[in-house]
Amino acid sequence: MSDLTLSPPARRALVLRHPSVLVFLAILALFTLGVTLLSEGMGAGVISTSFIKTLGKTLCFCLVALAMDLVWGYCGILSLGHMAFFGLGGYAIGMWLMYERTRQIVADSLAAAELPPTAQEISDGIASQIFGVVGASEFPPIWSLAHSLPLQLAAVVVVPGLLALVFGWLAFRSRVTGVYLSILTQAMTLALSLYLFQNDSGLRGNNGLSGLQNLPGLDHVPQAWVSLWFFWASALALGAGYLFCAWLVSGKFSSVVRAIRDDEARVRFLGYPVEAFKLVVFTLTAILAGIAGALYYPQAGIINPAEVAPIASIYLAVWVAIGGRGRLYGAVIGAAFVSLLSTWFTGGQAPDLVLGPLRIQWVDWWTVLLGLSFVAVTLFAPKGIGGLVDLIGRIKNPDRHGADLGPDAGALREREADQ
Amino acid sequence: MSKTIKRLIFCLAVMFAAPALAQDAEAPIQKLLQEHGDVIAKSSRKTIGPAIDALAASGLPAAQRVLERWQAKEMWRDEESGLFVFAEEIDRDTIRVFDPADGAQIGAVPDKGFKQLKPNSGIRGMIGAALVQFQLGDPDPVTRATALDAIERDPEASHLAALRKVVDSEGDPKLKARKARLERLLTIRFDEDDAARIEAIEGFAGDPAVDVRATLNPLVATRVEFAETAPQGDDIARILKPGDAALPRTEAYALLVKDGIAPPILTRSDKRTALIDNIRDGAVGGYRVAQLDTEANRDAAYAGLVEAGIASAAASEAEIDATLAGYVFFERFTGARPTVARSALAALKDIETKVGLNRAADLVLDALSLASIYFLAAIGLAITFGVMGVINMAHGEFIMMGAYTGYVVQQIIPDYTISILIAIPLAFAVTFGAGVAMERLVIRWLRHRPLETLLATFGISVALQQIAKNIFGTQARPLTSPAWLDGSLVLNDIVSISYIRIAIFVLALLFLGLFLFVMNRTRIGLEVRSVTQNPRMAGSMGINPDRINMLTFGLGSGIAGIAGVAIGLYAKVTSEMGQDYIVQSFMTVVVGGVGNIWGTLVGATLVGTMQKGIEWFNPSNTLAAQTYMILFIILFIQVRPRGIIALKGRAAEA
Amino acid sequence: MTTLLEVSGVSVSFDGFRAINNLSFQIAEGELRAVIGPNGAGKTTFMDIVTGKTRPDEGRVTFGEKSVSLLSLSESRIAQLGVGRKFQRPTVFEDQSVADNLMMALKKDRNPFAVLLFRPRSADLDRVAELAGEIGLSGALYRKAGELSHGQKQWLEIGMLLAQEPRLLLVDEPAAGMTLAEREHTTDLLKEAARTRAVVVVEHDMEFVRRLDCKVTVLHEGSVLAEGSLDHVTGNEDVIEVYLGR
Repeated sequence: MSDLTLSPPARRALVLRHPSVLVFLAILALFTLGVTLLSEGMGAGVISTSFIKTLGKTLCFCLVALAMDLVWGYCGILSLGHMAFFGLGGYAIGMWLMYERTRQIVADSLAAAELPPTAQEISDGIASQIFGVVGASEFPPIWSLAHSLPLQLAAVVVVPGLLALVFGWLAFRSRVTGVYLSILTQAMTLALSLYLFQNDSGLRGNNGLSGLQNLPGLDHVPQAWVSLWFFWASALALGAGYLFCAWLVSGKFSSVVRAIRDDEARVRFLGYPVEAFKLVVFTLTAILAGIAGALYYPQAGIINPAEVAPIASIYLAVWVAIGGRGRLYGAVIGAAFVSLLSTWFTGGQAPDLVLGPLRIQWVDWWTVLLGLSFVAVTLFAPKGIGGLVDLIGRIKNPDRHGADLGPDAGALREREADQ
Repeated sequence: MSKTIKRLIFCLAVMFAAPALAQDAEAPIQKLLQEHGDVIAKSSRKTIGPAIDALAASGLPAAQRVLERWQAKEMWRDEESGLFVFAEEIDRDTIRVFDPADGAQIGAVPDKGFKQLKPNSGIRGMIGAALVQFQLGDPDPVTRATALDAIERDPEASHLAALRKVVDSEGDPKLKARKARLERLLTIRFDEDDAARIEAIEGFAGDPAVDVRATLNPLVATRVEFAETAPQGDDIARILKPGDAALPRTEAYALLVKDGIAPPILTRSDKRTALIDNIRDGAVGGYRVAQLDTEANRDAAYAGLVEAGIASAAASEAEIDATLAGYVFFERFTGARPTVARSALAALKDIETKVGLNRAADLVLDALSLASIYFLAAIGLAITFGVMGVINMAHGEFIMMGAYTGYVVQQIIPDYTISILIAIPLAFAVTFGAGVAMERLVIRWLRHRPLETLLATFGISVALQQIAKNIFGTQARPLTSPAWLDGSLVLNDIVSISYIRIAIFVLALLFLGLFLFVMNRTRIGLEVRSVTQNPRMAGSMGINPDRINMLTFGLGSGIAGIAGVAIGLYAKVTSEMGQDYIVQSFMTVVVGGVGNIWGTLVGATLVGTMQKGIEWFNPSNTLAAQTYMILFIILFIQVRPRGIIALKGRAAEA
Repeated sequence: MTTLLEVSGVSVSFDGFRAINNLSFQIAEGELRAVIGPNGAGKTTFMDIVTGKTRPDEGRVTFGEKSVSLLSLSESRIAQLGVGRKFQRPTVFEDQSVADNLMMALKKDRNPFAVLLFRPRSADLDRVAELAGEIGLSGALYRKAGELSHGQKQWLEIGMLLAQEPRLLLVDEPAAGMTLAEREHTTDLLKEAARTRAVVVVEHDMEFVRRLDCKVTVLHEGSVLAEGSLDHVTGNEDVIEVYLGR
């Protein structure tokens, strides 16, 4: 950002104005290429298929972290609901994956019957296959588009976007801000996950959607390749998402949005419709989260309501905070670092820590460490890991004359500071 | 052979055999027994009824004793003479026999020639029922009460007369009331006189007890019938229209099919089977098999089969409608005579209203107890949020800490009453300490950064939860309430509330009072209020805001600890229990409005009532109830963004 | 001169306390007006009502030649109509450069999508540079606003208001906490601004008001106590009573 504020803005290409974008894209490209060459699918086999999936999933986390950074680090809305949008994206694509795969299985089995199956018989067969676990045998109305890939792909964008639009409109127009707003987004997330937990939600209750790693019609393609495809798609989405976010935060829009974060009332008196700006940011980031989710869950293979629970969204905030909010690469670093470390610790690969008679098993104690280190980061390094870049670049923040504002101070408005 | 001759011969035989035993064969009871001798000896449940009834109805003083002994398998029969005696086994071969007429001992005899009567359990039950009438008049009130229990469990027509006999003579007023009530119930059920039944039914109008409904329900039973013309007669309950909720169209048609009046409806799978059975050379009914992938084609192919006479015709939709139109469907009373049934119907309707009212009362009690739980859980949060503007995400974990403190105390002190009395202050102390430590170590350094505080306390919440999981494991731990808190206060069959919930309600009231006292009547309360309103000014007047904040936070956390013990008593103690209450607590605070204890109270009442109210509409689904409640709250915020009891004007701007 | 803003019969109360009591007030196009009054006279609440922050319980507020009612409009709509407001404390966006602050305030389409697609033209950049010159911040154009001194922040905020090109400027105690030299500069800025638009200045400092040399309105307990030249109102018995008496 410093390059923009210390010299007059010139009309140059986005990447030239923000060299960090170029650096990021280069690193991402190199990383993708390296992983591809070392993968099982390419024959090298240094990186296992399951680890490719882990890396692909991590890239999706990075993308949703970008969205979170935009809405929190730039716009000052600590949303505890973006993992819900992520989950909705996953459900939207999962419905098609599950429907199509089941349809093929059912069609195959019915083809052997004495009479050729009618459309109704196939549909009933799919329904009883999918909904047998929740004791239903008919398609709920929300599945009426599940047969169509384009429509479900549209749903990946439309459903989270629409939910964010409606919720955001309700929340912002009543001028709910700060911690109140955070609690309200958390309530929304909880309501959604509780709804999904019901068996008659039409989305298989707590069973969720499963078998998503199998692409319909591509049973002959080994998972080693499928995982690579998704890895590439995730990397592409992350690259594109990063560019998009960088564009979003490069101009006057970013000025206004950051101004809203720092002093919402003042922006209103400048004549900007603050609620509309918040709504745009909230909805756009929800859509971004939905896309990330749609890429994530086919790699994870299963989605259930627990993934939508409020805790997931809070972890998202933790990633962004640890990575350093208010800077795009911070969010990416945080998400990648914490989620990979978490995989390593909870996967049982980390060696036990022996403290005299005590033997600390990381599977049990990793969460404790994460929670406490998160407290430590908030207390001692509010800039997160991204702050290291400032240290290297010798960037100093201006002396604010005691006024404690800006992204590193928790995106707080002056009114709150007065309390 | 006529009966008289048979009896004569029998008597002769008895007379000759008599010398063996000094027994009064002419005693009325013995005569009665002899009258049914073969039936009694045969011991078959199917035929024994008249014999028992005859004994019970004989009015003989010895009848009760005979029935009791018979039931206890102490009655034997002399195989030779056919006389019945009471007997006890002295050893394997010898028995001591008694005269049934007066119970006098006759003497010890070898058991050869005697046969023990072994009534099976069914018969013993019948004897027991017959015995009831004797027990009803027993001098011992306990026996009389037991007899009433037996009748309530398994009422019989014969009990009615027995009861009527003893109602007036009953001395114990409680038992008398019971007897009178039971008599009326039995009247409804067994009396032959309709007027008496109706009178009894009307006497029960508005009584919501379960046994009344159980008695009335069979009376209003109906059967669905049909006729070509509208039926006459007062036993017609109502006319039904096929397609209504009470009589779906298919069921109405199935009635006609059952009587062979109409051809059956063919289901798709029936047609499919018929088609498959008739496939010849890859074709059926004029269609090739490959063409049969639509229902229309299958219908056409089946029609082809019908035409060819291979399959029977199926009723089409239009035909079904036409057939149904030709008949009138109605419900006929089958449970009782129409006047009685109608009277019962009216009484049931009356009771229904009463039951509804009682259910509502029960619901209000439920809602109140849930509200007091939310209030307990939220009050600490409201204090820290209201006074310091701090959202404490670890509040739920303080509740959990309190509950585990209670559990640990119970492991050390086995007496539940003492352990609870110790656990409550200890839980307060533990969570107070934890709260103070958290304030000093974390929250103080994040002053004026509410969002960061929220996240940092979340980090603590995660860590605490996992630590509890590592120490206590994932399975739920019990926190047992003392015996005097077991059970519930039962007002009637519908309204009841457990003592634990009452205790929690009282605890909530106690905290409300305590809080109001501390805030409004003590020095510390004054200081807290001044720090809330203007920390800088308070600081310049010699109040140490840091100390006040620390104490406030400790207090809020301490109350969470006590709430934890209370919640643990009626729910399970797990490391995740805090999470179950945290969002509802937030909602309570948000709905009620920040910085006002009455707001929290109103918020808790609203949230509790809402949740129970929604559950009432959809009782099977608590998940849905919570979902809708949260949605309601999000909408509620639209109307009152600052909660129900909101500060206005300049005070709200601060 | 035509009336630009007309406030008539406005009352508002908070929890029973009547902050504004049947207040009527008019200002013409291009007029400079000072509003004085003791603490709690309702000066800030008056501004809150005009800018849409507070909704009055009764009364009318109309603006412009078409007499648009401001009561049903949001703060941002009122600002877009041409009412600019400067707060008591300098509120600029400290995390952003002076140029960014000014660019944000420039009169342009405020729609989010228009803002998203907005790229500054050279005319816009020139206008920003010109404004920076007027407020004496040419040298600090690319410094973060948070690094500026208190007085510079006040000027930057006035500069932002000018960039908004409002028809009515509401200024709340612009001279508070300023040095003498800074006050003079501020007076000049306000007088300059009043040439092309109406300006209402709320101020305690009589010296400052005298220097503005304009019509004065005295508020007391939520309504107008006196109106006229400074000498006229300072001679008014009621005003002396309010300021000195009791």
